[in-house]
Amino acid sequence: MPHPDRLAAILAGERTALARAISMLENDARGAAALRAALRGRCGRAHVLGITGAPGAGKSTLIGALLGAFLGRGLKVAVAAVDPSSPVSGGALLGDRIRMGSHAGHENCFIRSLSARGQLGGLSASTGAVVDLLDAAGFDTVIVETVGAGQSEVDLARLADTRVVLCPPGLGDEVQALKAGILELADLLVVSKADHPLAGRTAAELRDMLALRRHGGAHPGAGTWQPRVLEVDAAAGTGLEALLEAIEEHRRAIGCGRRLQAREAEADTADTAALCARLAARDPFVTSLGGEFAGARPGAAEVALAIRAQHLNFNGTCHGGVIFALADTAFGLASNSRGRLAAGIDAHVTYHSAVHEGERLLARAREISRSRKLAVYRVDVERADGTLVAAFTGTVFITGAHPAGEGTSSRSAGGA
Amino acid sequence: MELRPRVLVTKIGLDGHDRGARVVAACLRDAGMEVVYTPPWQDIPAVVKLAIEEDIDVIGISSLATDHLIVPALIEALRAAGAGDVAVIVGGIVPDEEVPALIEAGVAQVFHPGAPLARIADFVRSAAARVRATRFPDAR
Repeated sequence: MPHPDRLAAILAGERTALARAISMLENDARGAAALRAALRGRCGRAHVLGITGAPGAGKSTLIGALLGAFLGRGLKVAVAAVDPSSPVSGGALLGDRIRMGSHAGHENCFIRSLSARGQLGGLSASTGAVVDLLDAAGFDTVIVETVGAGQSEVDLARLADTRVVLCPPGLGDEVQALKAGILELADLLVVSKADHPLAGRTAAELRDMLALRRHGGAHPGAGTWQPRVLEVDAAAGTGLEALLEAIEEHRRAIGCGRRLQAREAEADTADTAALCARLAARDPFVTSLGGEFAGARPGAAEVALAIRAQHLNFNGTCHGGVIFALADTAFGLASNSRGRLAAGIDAHVTYHSAVHEGERLLARAREISRSRKLAVYRVDVERADGTLVAAFTGTVFITGAHPAGEGTSSRSAGGA
Repeated sequence: MELRPRVLVTKIGLDGHDRGARVVAACLRDAGMEVVYTPPWQDIPAVVKLAIEEDIDVIGISSLATDHLIVPALIEALRAAGAGDVAVIVGGIVPDEEVPALIEAGVAQVFHPGAPLARIADFVRSAAARVRATRFPDAR
């Protein structure tokens, strides 16, 4: 537990305490895990509004306009604005808040700039925890601004209750609007810079896209909500009132705390390790090979193997099939670690050095990407000294079912 | 994991010459720091609020046309808000005879035109490390 005084100051929304706590979470400093745990169960009240879109789409300017409206209604509003970090130095220039206007100085407003710290997906690794903190601190609305996003930055989808995707006029044709990715996850599509001559055409193309998707039955959205297209000129305030109404309507329809439900669906790390240990223990092939389960967390798993005479090929070195099998086992556990049955549909391996009898190998699988249906993993097979023996990538298809033998609840299926 | 320095580069007062501030901000970013940058014409209450919310270790004030003379008021305001541990440095045109008064008021360092960027970055990094160490004594 964090110090009780410190926790009380955070829950009271005390500015310095919040700022320090965010730094602690960002740096994963000592005490961060305890703070995360203490926040659990204290959030779910705030409405999390996610704003994403291409660089220069007008995200910060729109947030400035929204801030003015929310603060004017007496709401307490926090903003977490993520900017990219340098892949070279790791440093970052955080300039979002300067475009959010004079509202930054309002006593009911708290703005924090976050560096993405090398994380892809539009958010930083700790953004979720920062949102929990701001939620627990009593803000009515938490606005999350992503890094200028492309077509695959979909992390926001899991974090935000209401997802606004900004589409500046004239970027691409109707084919762009048909592509999969971020547009599919929008609850509200906002054509920014609505005073631009091409704004009307962009809005029309987006509406066509939504209509096509409705007819195709492909919209993955929650419940009865139909995404809609709005045109906003945030600098002039045109269309802002309609956007505010749509946000409020969506909040009433969907509610708050979508990220918490998503998280509940994913087993936490301890549960994950237990689940993977059970899966490995009842895998006859892994057992006959001599593979040993060595740990797992959501999306990642490790399996070890001591190379014995039975694993060798006619040249007296470890058989490639054994190394593949080891990597494939870690891949299988990592892809099933979230409690959803995942079936491999493709895998590749490259071998980098010969392995001899008596050596001990460790296969470490980690998730590179995961969508609703597909996930991709990379597995490194290494010696004890860390040298690379083989590199493996694999793709799985995710079904709606639970892994075999795990029933309806992975927690209650222990001892299998 | 290290506690990455967080630095604010800004200008207070009415002077809009921001080229130097941008150069220094980019230099600190390239030195691996997280730099919050604002345009010129900030007022003191806004800078204090920003420094607290962003958990800033070091504030760099760029001054060309006598804005350095209001830096003591900024330091007073930081102290009043409980953020007196933030290191404040000034860069730009500061007459030599006015430096002692700034140091007396609590300015950590004054950098004149021509100061090597590497020296500024080194100073900011070590000043930030001192602030971080007191704010997060057991962060490792």
